[in-house]
Amino acid sequence: MSRAPAPRPVVLCFGLGTLCAMGFAAAYVLDLSTPVLGAVLGGSLTLIALALAVWSHRIDQEEPDYVEERAIGPTSSEQFEHFRQALTESPVPRSGFLWGMFGLSVTTLGAALLFPLRSLLPSMSEVPDEVLSESAFSQGRRLMTEELQPVKPDDLEVGGYLTVFPDGSDPRQDVGATLLIRVSPDQLQLPADRTNWAVDGVVAYSKLCTHAGCPVGLYADQPAQLLCPCHHSVFNVLDGAKPMQGPASHPLPQLPLALDGDGNLVANGPFSGPVGAAWWGYRA
Amino acid sequence: MSGRTRRSWVVRSLGLLAVIGAALWLTTTLRAGSAVAGAGTAYSPSRAGDTNLGQHVFLRDCAWCHGIQAQGTSRGPDLRSAGPAYVDFMLKTGRMPLLEPDATTEPHTQKYDAATIAALVQYVGEQLGSGEPLPQLSAGDITSGRTVFLASCAACHSSSGTGTILQDGTRVPQLYDTPSEQIAEAVRVGPGEMPPFGAKTLDDQELNDVVSYVQQLGPQQVEGGHPLDQYGPIAESLLAFLIPLPLLVIIILLLGRRAPRKESEE
Amino acid sequence: MRARRANRVLRLADERLGYASVARKTMAKIFPDHWSFMLGEIALYSFMFLVATGIYLVLFFDPSSHLTTYDGSYAPMHGKEVSSAYASTVSISFDVRAGLLVRQAHHWAAHIFVGAIVLHLCRIFFTGMFRKPRELNWTVGVTLLILAIFNGFAGYSLPDDLLSGTGLHIFFSIAEGTPFIGDWLAFLVFGGNFPGDVIIERLYALHILIVPALIAILITVHMAVLIRQKHSHFSGPGRSDANVVGSRMWPSYAIRSLSLMFFVSAVCVLLGGFAQINPIWVWGDFSSPQITAPSVADWYVGWIEGALRLFPPMEPHLLGFTIPNQFWAGVLLPLVTFAALYLWPWIDRRLTHDYGTHHLTGRPRESPGRVAIGVAALTFYGVCLVAMSEETLVQWTHAPVADIRNTLRVVVIVLPFVTGFIAHRIARALRDSGAGGLLLLSKADWRRAREVRRAGKAPPIPPSEPPTEEESPEAPAPGEPLDEEGRPLTESPAWVHPGGRIPE
Repeated sequence: MSRAPAPRPVVLCFGLGTLCAMGFAAAYVLDLSTPVLGAVLGGSLTLIALALAVWSHRIDQEEPDYVEERAIGPTSSEQFEHFRQALTESPVPRSGFLWGMFGLSVTTLGAALLFPLRSLLPSMSEVPDEVLSESAFSQGRRLMTEELQPVKPDDLEVGGYLTVFPDGSDPRQDVGATLLIRVSPDQLQLPADRTNWAVDGVVAYSKLCTHAGCPVGLYADQPAQLLCPCHHSVFNVLDGAKPMQGPASHPLPQLPLALDGDGNLVANGPFSGPVGAAWWGYRA
Repeated sequence: MSGRTRRSWVVRSLGLLAVIGAALWLTTTLRAGSAVAGAGTAYSPSRAGDTNLGQHVFLRDCAWCHGIQAQGTSRGPDLRSAGPAYVDFMLKTGRMPLLEPDATTEPHTQKYDAATIAALVQYVGEQLGSGEPLPQLSAGDITSGRTVFLASCAACHSSSGTGTILQDGTRVPQLYDTPSEQIAEAVRVGPGEMPPFGAKTLDDQELNDVVSYVQQLGPQQVEGGHPLDQYGPIAESLLAFLIPLPLLVIIILLLGRRAPRKESEE
Repeated sequence: MRARRANRVLRLADERLGYASVARKTMAKIFPDHWSFMLGEIALYSFMFLVATGIYLVLFFDPSSHLTTYDGSYAPMHGKEVSSAYASTVSISFDVRAGLLVRQAHHWAAHIFVGAIVLHLCRIFFTGMFRKPRELNWTVGVTLLILAIFNGFAGYSLPDDLLSGTGLHIFFSIAEGTPFIGDWLAFLVFGGNFPGDVIIERLYALHILIVPALIAILITVHMAVLIRQKHSHFSGPGRSDANVVGSRMWPSYAIRSLSLMFFVSAVCVLLGGFAQINPIWVWGDFSSPQITAPSVADWYVGWIEGALRLFPPMEPHLLGFTIPNQFWAGVLLPLVTFAALYLWPWIDRRLTHDYGTHHLTGRPRESPGRVAIGVAALTFYGVCLVAMSEETLVQWTHAPVADIRNTLRVVVIVLPFVTGFIAHRIARALRDSGAGGLLLLSKADWRRAREVRRAGKAPPIPPSEPPTEEESPEAPAPGEPLDEEGRPLTESPAWVHPGGRIPE
């Protein structure tokens, strides 16, 4: 290839790219903002890219189209036969039985090596189905706020709501997160067997959506509905949190409420069902 | 030929940069319609209002729907238990008065001056009825406010305060630029579909804290370039489809094509 | 002088490695000149960018669920107890100089990586280049797509923030929806019931080591098969199944490709600087009962999210088992999607009865049926993504969520048929009329296409006929057909212009 003079735009872009790179170093030293850092570093990369693009364009102008034969294709049947013979005509007796035993041992080994996967669940006595079916609340357990305070019905305004947890649990981690919602008692239309589950219009439902487990945190007071921000399931607070819209297919588990001697809200039994999403072994 | 090609390359490169610039500019201007809880007007405390003025304006503008004793009619609710905080909130955010009787209460520009609002607050909130008083705010702790906000407000207003939607298609308002007093009033009275948070679920100090934190939301949270409305993955994914991927496709459209061989000149 | 020194280094290395002849052949490798062949390169370079920025981030990130007291410069979190993973990500964003730029560029690069893979996959699909002999490389590519999606999700979940924590909860619930073993699967992955205290650590190992290593290995396999089979190329004068026509790797293509590498990095860095992505300090630290709204994931898993939103409520109990609602959209849909992608070369073969070997890239129009299926599938996933963005639609239309959702439920089923049908008709008209391209398709072309079909004539552009085995040229050893200049050694290159250019 003849030595042509360096094309000016390429030189210019490389030069500016170098300047921008120095600019990035300077911006770093001066502790400038993220957009400035991004502008100089991105500018440097863009200019180098542009220089290379123009350069390659110049090279292409000198270049013809090239053709290359495609060297791939099936091997000739003769060669393939050689290969097949070399593979199978080994000094080892061609015993299907031995290969079968080899397969059996390796398969068993593979299956045996799956067992340590059980260690991924550290507790050896934990059975997922039982853990999921277990209620975080039991008879008499107090409902505590995030600040670990007990709750009285009057702590809530009519129309207000509050997230509470089983006494003694870690609010950050617990699946027992429960929504306390206060409505006017005459509005409630709880199922016949749950009429005594509310205290002064305060009802309690699991906060975990029964569709995919998201916290159903969006409470609209006037229609008294809970909306899940993840997949937009809507639950009716007044009639036992039955799903009204969206993909959720079973109600939020309800917690029967009662008052203890100090007038604090306590659970009057377990949740009406497993909290969170269903699984194949789920029993309502 | 070669000169033209060279020039067209420069033009194309500049064009590319222009596309990047224009796209970024577009995202700045094309923000999804954002309703703002407060109308952004400067807050002036509505204290010690003139009762006569209040009565006058109430009978002139409000009694049509709310009744002369604020007892409510078929057109508007009973305001006797509304209280000053509620009245102040509705007027300051322009949700009231309605221009049409059957219009929906949506945030608007404030329609009365500060003195009139103060007068109405006193007349309706304190003379005709009673209820949640105007909040008395003081300095709050933003760390505690952030905790309260994430626990109690983020589910509807978004962690970023940008707001989201309700199932009926209405907008949970964006909280940026909302004066502290209106935030506090809304927390206490729970306007519209918002649940109220009484002093026992959120004590006065926590209210101060969360109001202080809300004042930190919005532009102050932006560190890394355009905020994309702080709307999260929906906006980010949309941007990914609109800018980098098309841009890179344009780049390979230009790069992948062979330059015509420079032989005509020789 | 400089040239002589460089020469000596090359010579020294060759004395030890004897690489010159291999390098010579490599430099003469031919790359076809068409933009669509660079889509995969965008993916490759964004992966390299991800590795480079990822290495930087690893140095500052503390992948631990253990609580620590935040004492960095982000004021609203002073003195707050948060997980080390979250605290260190906030520190990367506020206290590591240039850390936020790198973090954001890394996240944008992930969008570009998966996006480029999808575009590349579309190119291969619509041009039929998954056909024999490239079925294996197609399955490698699909595996790379799955790994890229998974690693994107894993990386997105690492900061232990409120938004991604919700995503993990959905992931847990989807895992629970796996038939029969779901509860065990979810518990094994999370080390117990959600959230557990090991998931960040486990995702970290996957995100920074295991999955990237697998991706790197599979990219190597992908490239090795490509080099062995050589590029496909569009048909044209002098182009056949038995050759490749294009630019040499050295000097032209390498520099072009290097330019693309810089462009890809530039786009990632510029976005990282100018568009704030995933502001985890705003979303807040993860806490199981808390949530932000809207709570959705990045688009490459967002289509599952959208499908979850659209699937109608139902949870039948059968033979003592419950079929959880999230099973359909969360488990079955991805399984069907990726199974269909894996098996597509064999499905396509059944449908088209095309069992031949192909090295000439087909134009999409050559198979209107395939175009229809591809466009219909893209429409389906597109509508799922729209469902993921339901909030935006509701905000614009002020329509109740239920109305939007019910509309989308219909659209997601009907629209793929409509777009597929339209795409089929357009592809057929293009094929039968021989029009230059989609935008050049005129009314006259439609008419001509109809006439051609009515006359029952063969389409003007016949689908490339694979050479039968007897006809296929004797395979020369690699590199042989090139002379000293790297030019083809064909005796009389009738179709190669003396200047190397192929005449029109």
